[in-house]
Amino acid sequence: MNQEIYLVGLNHKTAGVDIRERFALNDCDPAATGLVSDAGAVSEAMILSTCNRVEFLVVGSEEADMRARILRFWADQCGQPSGDLEGHTYCHVGDDAVNHLFTVASSLDSMILGEPQILGQLKTAYRNAVEKGVAKVIVNRLLHKAFSTAKRVRTETAIASSAVSISYAAVELARKIFTDLTNHRALLIGAGEMAELAATHLLSSGVRDITVVNRTLAKGEELARQFKGRAMPFEELHQALLETDIVISSTGSPTAIIRAKDMKDVLRKRRHKPIFFIDIAVPRDIDPDINGLDNVYLYDIDDLKEVVEENLAGRMQEAQKARGIVAEEVMAFMRWRDGLALQPTIVALLDQGECIARKELRKSIKQLGPNPDPQMVAILERLAKSLCHKIYHEPISYLKRRSLEEGSAQRFIHNARRMFNLDEEAIPEDAHLDRKPQTGSK
Amino acid sequence: MTASRLFELIIVLLYLSGSVSYPLGLVLRRAFLKRLAAWTSAAAFGLHTVDLALRSLELGAANLQHGQFYMSLMAWFFVLIFFVLWWRLKHDFLSMITAPLALILFSSSLAVRTQVLAVPEQFSVLWFSLHVGTIFVSLALIAMAFGAGVAYLHLERLIKTKAKLPGFSKELPSLETFDKANHWAVSIGFPLYTISLLAGFLWASFTWKKVISWDPKELISIVIWVLFALLFHQRMALGWRGRKPAKTAIILFILCLVSLVGVNFLLPSHHSFRQ
Repeated sequence: MNQEIYLVGLNHKTAGVDIRERFALNDCDPAATGLVSDAGAVSEAMILSTCNRVEFLVVGSEEADMRARILRFWADQCGQPSGDLEGHTYCHVGDDAVNHLFTVASSLDSMILGEPQILGQLKTAYRNAVEKGVAKVIVNRLLHKAFSTAKRVRTETAIASSAVSISYAAVELARKIFTDLTNHRALLIGAGEMAELAATHLLSSGVRDITVVNRTLAKGEELARQFKGRAMPFEELHQALLETDIVISSTGSPTAIIRAKDMKDVLRKRRHKPIFFIDIAVPRDIDPDINGLDNVYLYDIDDLKEVVEENLAGRMQEAQKARGIVAEEVMAFMRWRDGLALQPTIVALLDQGECIARKELRKSIKQLGPNPDPQMVAILERLAKSLCHKIYHEPISYLKRRSLEEGSAQRFIHNARRMFNLDEEAIPEDAHLDRKPQTGSK
Repeated sequence: MTASRLFELIIVLLYLSGSVSYPLGLVLRRAFLKRLAAWTSAAAFGLHTVDLALRSLELGAANLQHGQFYMSLMAWFFVLIFFVLWWRLKHDFLSMITAPLALILFSSSLAVRTQVLAVPEQFSVLWFSLHVGTIFVSLALIAMAFGAGVAYLHLERLIKTKAKLPGFSKELPSLETFDKANHWAVSIGFPLYTISLLAGFLWASFTWKKVISWDPKELISIVIWVLFALLFHQRMALGWRGRKPAKTAIILFILCLVSLVGVNFLLPSHHSFRQ
C-alpha cells in the first residue's frame, strides 16, 4: 500500500484564538489513542501544538481519506464537534506538506516573521513523537531536514538579525552603545506598560539592576519589587541619572522632565560616561536637544517604531531568499523519499518473479518423474532464477532511471506496482463489463 | 628570485590576505573569512618574526643602521600590539587596521632595504631599546586608536542620526569597545611616547652635545607629544570619552604618518631614510 505524507492543521491565519484554544492538543499520545497503529492507515505521526498553531504531521496510506480521519480524531480528543474545525483547517499532501513543515520550521509562517521560538516548539513536538514511538523512518528524516533547513535559513539570510518589537529594538540599540549590559544599570522613570516591557527585556538581557523613579513612591516601590530593583523619590531624579546608563521614561508629564541644560551638569559629574535615553512617553519626557550632547543618545517612540518598521521590511526581503532555500530542501527531501519508495518496489518485483518461477519449477520437476536427477533439478532451479532476474532487469532499470527524474518517480512506481499487482489488489469480477463485446464472440 | 625575497613575498601575501579577508568577511557576513584573516595575519606574524630573527643573526648590530629593518620591526610591533589588544579586548575588528598597516609598513621596508642610517654604534643598543622600542609600541597604539576612532565616529553618527544600521555597521562592536581601545592607547601609549622622546633627547645630548637640533623630526615629535599630552590629561583628569578622544586620536595618527613618511622619506633630517 502506498504511503503519503499529510499535514493537517490550523494556525493564527486560519483560526481565531477561541478555536485555537478549544482545539489545542498539549498532551496527546497518537499511539495510545489509536491514531497510529501497525495495521492502521496511519503509520507515523507528530503533533505540534502551540498558541498559534495545531498541526498533525502524519504518514499514511494514500487511499484513506486522511483529512476527515484526522479531523475526527482531533475533535474527539478535544471533546469538541468536528464540524467546528471545518473552514479553519488546511490539508497539505506530499511535497506541499513537506514545504509547509520546512516553512514553519524556518519561521516563515510565524506571526512575527523570523522569530526563533517555533523551532524550539517543533523540537519538543518531535521529541514527544520519538519518545512515544510514533516517529519512524519518514518523520525522523523529515524533521531532521526541517531543522537543518531552518539552520540554513538563519545562517544564509538575515531574517532573524534585526529587532521587530519596540522593546527589543531598544535593547539592540543599547548593545550598540554598551559592550556588555551586565555592567550597566537601568532607570525606569514612570510606570507605563511599554516601559515595563522594555525594562523586562533589559533585565533578561543581563542589565545589572533597575531603579524606579515615580511621582508616587509607593507605586515605584511596587514596580521595583517586581524587578528586584530599588525605588527612589522623584525629587532624586538627578541623583539617579548619575548612577544609571540606560534610562526608560514613560511619565504622563505634559512637559519635558529632563532638559539638555540640566544634562550638561549631570554628564560632567558622571565623567562623561555614555547614557542612553529611551523616551516612550507621549508627549515626550526628554528634551530632544539632549541628543546633540556628546555621549548622550536619545531615541523616542517614533524613532524606535521606525527601526522596527525598517527591520520588518528587511525581514520581508530576506523571506524571499529563505523561501528559495526551503524549495531546494523540499526537492532534496522528495528525491530521498522517492528513492525510499523504489527499494520496496524492486524487492517486491523480484519476490513476485521468484515466486512464479518456483511455482513453475515445481510443475516441471513433477514431469521429470518420481526420482528426478538432482543435478538436473539444480540446473533447472538456476535456470528459473536466472530467467526471473533477467526478465525483471529491464523494468527495474527503467524504474531506477525514472526515479531520478524530479516529480515523476512516484507516478512510475505507482504504475509499476499496479501493472505487476504488487499490492495484490482484488480485481472485481465485473471489472471488464464496461468493455464493448467483441464482434463474433459467442 | 632569492630565497629571502621569496620569503618576504610570502609574508606580504599573507598580510595582504589578512587585510582583504576581514573587510570581505564583514561585508559578506562570512565568519570563516574573518577567521581566515586572523589565521593569515598570525601566519604572517610568525614568518615575519622568523625573518627578523634571521636578519638579526645575519647582520647583528649592523641592522640598526638599516631603514628597512626599522620599518619591518615597526610592522612587527603593530601586529604584536594587535594580538595583545585582541586578547585583552576580545575584538577582532582590530584586524581592520592592523593587517593593512603591517602590509604597508612591511612592503615599504622592502623598498628601503638598501638605505643606511648614520647611527653611532656606541649608543645603538641603548638608543634602540629605549627610543625605538617605546616609539614603535606607542605608534602601534596610536594606529589602533585611529582605527577605533574612525569606527567610533562612523557608528556614533549612525546612532545619533537614527539611520538604519547597514550590514557592515551591524557587525561592528559597540561604541564602548572603541572607546576602550582609545583608553588603552592613551593610557599606555602616552607614557611610552614620553620615554621615547626623553631617550631621544638624552641620546642627542650625548652624541651632539645639545638636546635639540631643530630637526624637522624633533619638531613634529614635540607637536605630537603636546597633543598626546592634552589627550592624556583630558582623558585621565577630566574623563574625556567618546567623540573628542576619537577625533584627537585621528589627528595624532595623521601627524605620526606625516612624521614617518614626510620626514623620514622627503625632508633632510638625521632620521631620514634617504641616501
